[in-house]
Amino acid sequence: MDVIFRVRRFDGEKSYWSDFVIPAKKGMTVLEGLYYIKENYDGSLAFRASCRMGICGSCAVKINGRPVLACETQILHLNSTTIKIEPLDNFEVIKDLVTEFDGFFTKHEAVKPYLIRKEDRYSEPEELIQKPEQLYAYYKYSLCIKCGACYSVCPASSSRDDYLGPAAMTAAYRFIADSRDEGDGERMQIVCGDCGVWRCHFAAECSEVCPKKVEPAKAVQKLRFRSSIYMLKKFFIRW
Amino acid sequence: MRWLKWFEFRGKSLFHISYSLHRLTGIVLVIYLVMHLSYLTSIRMGREVYEYFTSITLTPAFLIFDILLVLAGVYHGVNGLRLILHEFGLGYELRRPLLYLCYLLTLVLWLYASYQMYLFVMGV
Amino acid sequence: MSNELNGLRTKRVLEPAGWVLQLITGLVLAVLVTFHFFETHMIHHSAMEYENVILRLSDIRYKIMYGLLLLSVSFHAFNGVRAIFLDTNYGSENRRFVNILLFLAVIVAFTYGLLLLFSF
Repeated sequence: MDVIFRVRRFDGEKSYWSDFVIPAKKGMTVLEGLYYIKENYDGSLAFRASCRMGICGSCAVKINGRPVLACETQILHLNSTTIKIEPLDNFEVIKDLVTEFDGFFTKHEAVKPYLIRKEDRYSEPEELIQKPEQLYAYYKYSLCIKCGACYSVCPASSSRDDYLGPAAMTAAYRFIADSRDEGDGERMQIVCGDCGVWRCHFAAECSEVCPKKVEPAKAVQKLRFRSSIYMLKKFFIRW
Repeated sequence: MRWLKWFEFRGKSLFHISYSLHRLTGIVLVIYLVMHLSYLTSIRMGREVYEYFTSITLTPAFLIFDILLVLAGVYHGVNGLRLILHEFGLGYELRRPLLYLCYLLTLVLWLYASYQMYLFVMGV
Repeated sequence: MSNELNGLRTKRVLEPAGWVLQLITGLVLAVLVTFHFFETHMIHHSAMEYENVILRLSDIRYKIMYGLLLLSVSFHAFNGVRAIFLDTNYGSENRRFVNILLFLAVIVAFTYGLLLLFSF
């Protein structure tokens, strides 16, 4: 069955739409359609892709208005003869479907997404024991593939550039909730700030679009609660 | 005009739409608050001024505005209660039923309040 | 690069206190606004007549209820507007100005309403 891919193009100066006819077969994904365009119609079409199996997070694009992974979306499941493909919102477009991700990764790095221990005993390494219940407390939040879909639908991210975003705050919570981690104080400095949890008003769209069902909205609310306890304790203890 | 994205509803779930409506009704209610506080000063200016205002606003012609205002108020309040629950980290797993309940409650309370206002202004 | 994220001051307790108070005033308002609506529209048809309005405003119990309503709504409304401003780039750059402006708005609204409550 033939479908039309209406792709939003950008050449550095102007934005325009390009239409391509794709002979879609059962099981064919939107990513395969994009490769088909690149191989048969227009080699200048720019898009990001890598693993083509929903684990690297490279190919997140807006398909018919919703951000999804192109490699996980089957063309015929969309039930539409015209498939509109656009780059993710809230990111600066470099070319066609490729967007600037530097700011997104900077924010992720800012929350220190690695295990912090008070003492690093590399010469005498010890095993850090963790019970299954302790693992389940944060495991879901560790599945984030940094695709940027959550950030693209967050209303706070759309109007404020320095807002950390659901992905970074989920990463922060993933480590704060990890029983092996001892770096609460350092991470709280970032997420308790004006550009952190306080800009979230539970639009919860992030949880709706996450391809890995990481539930960032839940992580941010839990982080918010912890931040308020942390900040109030700091204030009253200093008093 | 980036703030317009707060009110974008295309391709968004009911959760995001609820957020947009909450923000919109909040702004409407702040504007109404300022108007209401100024309107109340008419009480200090004596009977004639107060009754002049009520003769314009407590009439069937104004009922439509009152009904819309009450819709905004009831929605903001009921949705706000839902948000209070979720922002404390409670009830996240029940967010879908709670959302539908919120809309149902808004509709019921709004219809009841509008009916009461209708009776009031029609002098029944 | 984490140092490049603009001034994050956790010394202030403004943010969590503001958030908690927004929720508490929200709950208070949910109750008091409903009561206010009941009072003016559903108890008796003559509730909006001038004499009855003055009568209510002169009663100490109503004064307290209206005072509480006024305080809650002033804080909730203008803290909400503050949140809206802080959600923008303009708000993030002019945080101090936004905080002071809206704090003043709360004070003005509250005292303006109190003036009315105390003239009866």
